[in-house]
Amino acid sequence: MNDTLKRLFAKLGPFLGLILVISLFSLPAEMREVFPTYGNFRFVFIQTVIVAIGALGMTLIIVSGGIDLSVGSSIALTSVVGAQLIQRGYGPVAVLAFSILSGGTIGLLNGTAIAGLRMIPFIITLGGMAILRGIAFVATRGQSVGGFPASFRDLVRMEIGDGLSFIPLATMVIVTVVGWIFLSRLAAGRRVYAIGGNELAARFSGIRVERVKLGVYVISGLTAGIAALMALGYYGSASSGDASGYELNVIAAAVVGGASLTGGRGSALGVVLGALILQMISSGIDILGIEQSYSQIIIGSVVIAAVVLDNFNTWLAKRRLTAKAH
Amino acid sequence: MKKHLLTLACALAALATVARAAEQRTLTIGVVAKSQGNPVFQAARVGAEDAAKELGAKLKMTIKIDWRTPNEEDAQKQAQAIEQLVLTGAEGISVSCSDANKLTDAINKAVDSGVPVATFDSDAPASKRFVTYGVDDIECGKQTMEELAKIMGGKGIVAVLAGNQNAPNLQKRVQGVKEAAKKYPGITIRDTYYHKETPQDAAAKVEQVMQANPDITGWAMIGGWPLFTVNALKWQPGTVKCVAVDALPAQLAYIRSGHVPVLLAQQCYEWGHRTVELLVEKIVLKKNPPAVKEISALIPVTKDNVDAFGKNWEKWLPK
Repeated sequence: MNDTLKRLFAKLGPFLGLILVISLFSLPAEMREVFPTYGNFRFVFIQTVIVAIGALGMTLIIVSGGIDLSVGSSIALTSVVGAQLIQRGYGPVAVLAFSILSGGTIGLLNGTAIAGLRMIPFIITLGGMAILRGIAFVATRGQSVGGFPASFRDLVRMEIGDGLSFIPLATMVIVTVVGWIFLSRLAAGRRVYAIGGNELAARFSGIRVERVKLGVYVISGLTAGIAALMALGYYGSASSGDASGYELNVIAAAVVGGASLTGGRGSALGVVLGALILQMISSGIDILGIEQSYSQIIIGSVVIAAVVLDNFNTWLAKRRLTAKAH
Repeated sequence: MKKHLLTLACALAALATVARAAEQRTLTIGVVAKSQGNPVFQAARVGAEDAAKELGAKLKMTIKIDWRTPNEEDAQKQAQAIEQLVLTGAEGISVSCSDANKLTDAINKAVDSGVPVATFDSDAPASKRFVTYGVDDIECGKQTMEELAKIMGGKGIVAVLAGNQNAPNLQKRVQGVKEAAKKYPGITIRDTYYHKETPQDAAAKVEQVMQANPDITGWAMIGGWPLFTVNALKWQPGTVKCVAVDALPAQLAYIRSGHVPVLLAQQCYEWGHRTVELLVEKIVLKKNPPAVKEISALIPVTKDNVDAFGKNWEKWLPK
């Protein structure tokens, strides 16, 4: 296999994975009437939106060689901020702006601690995970915030065609396109790859590593804010317990979509496909009537398989380079 | 010849009718409880499956229970489960809501699609569910406090163990406890303690609170979570009084040991059994319940009836 083919195969990997998952779940006779249908795909797309948008921000962090464990708590707090603003009568534009900015502020704080104070991302965001959820709990006194006027919900749930919620899907597409342009067409995106690939080399080549790192955490915070708004609008309420365990889903989507946890690799389209693959598996398992407990085992195994495959590819690439050098 | 042909046609038509009747209809009912690990919901599942068997035999149809409960409490996953049940052709849904606000839209969407929804244990009052089955939560809180006050002789410091802070039913029970406590000037409520609804988290919370507040003399547990583990109450029987809601097999040991004088049993087997019954009546017999709220009473379990009550669990738990 020549290099071009290999590169094409690597790029198409998540897409082929998605086709494989859809094909496998469409094989059993009892699945054919439910799984490969418009109704199910519509359901899966909507469920994918919240994970995919958050995962796009997370991919930037992962590509830069970092991690953000506080993304679930960030979504919970941002949702709570949005819900409380709606309850106090603020209009959709103000809610939108404040919620996304809250997410951005959380990202700025994370980024400042990690890039500015040179702290380990794992520790900072682990602490942030508890702090942000705690703030959300105190702000809501543990109550679910909902029952507000339906205008915001109606806007997010607005349907076109046969029951397709247009706004969440359009938002996901826009965020994906922006992420794709940023990562593959802009110099700023190249710098993120450079830092993730080899931070020291990037520093010596003149890249302002701290500034780039700060930037990716801010962007990730903003995408968490957008994901929170979609969740708030779609489900119609917010609570401090929202998005529990979400960080795992987001990281899993990034990894399955081809991002390397060691940094330097990952793409916007890949991560959306990764989120879709995981949601398709989850939906297929549900339709097959397999219990949730098994669903977690299966999805966990898929994530581990993706990491093993990634490590194997890295090993192969290194071997090829060594062979060429000799 | 014509007469023979007519007779043959009639016989064939009759045969086809009998064959059609013999071909049993399958009815799928989705059950979405709060969490898989909690034994009260395991009993609800057995109740739902028993009701499906009993009613299926009675109505000569196959009733299938589609159990779509998240591993841990997650209202978003419950909402997804409801949407997917509608998609996969469930004809009725029974749900215990982890967050009423979050589930209202999903329930309404299901009802608008022609799938009736019943709630149990924890309701979504603003939704279009046609019936809710469970205890009156404010009364449940009141009864817990009144039983505790009786045992404590109307004086002492009480802690309230309250589980998931987002569950509307538990919030009402806390409200009931506080309202009833007002009748007893000798009783002070130290605080309400929330925790993840797993036995280990609840037991750890009780231990932590007792370490920090050794002067607490009574516990009003509006759910029985810590008592699902062994040796959760680290004090000598009788030194700290305790009344808890629910009476699961593991909890009964605390009655026998004297740590807990009164348990208030919710009819958790009936949560599944009765809601499936109500759904089948609505879907098949086109019969609506007499009232939207169907209240189930709490059954006090003490040393006097603990053995008799314990025998129920042989039937209620999954085999």
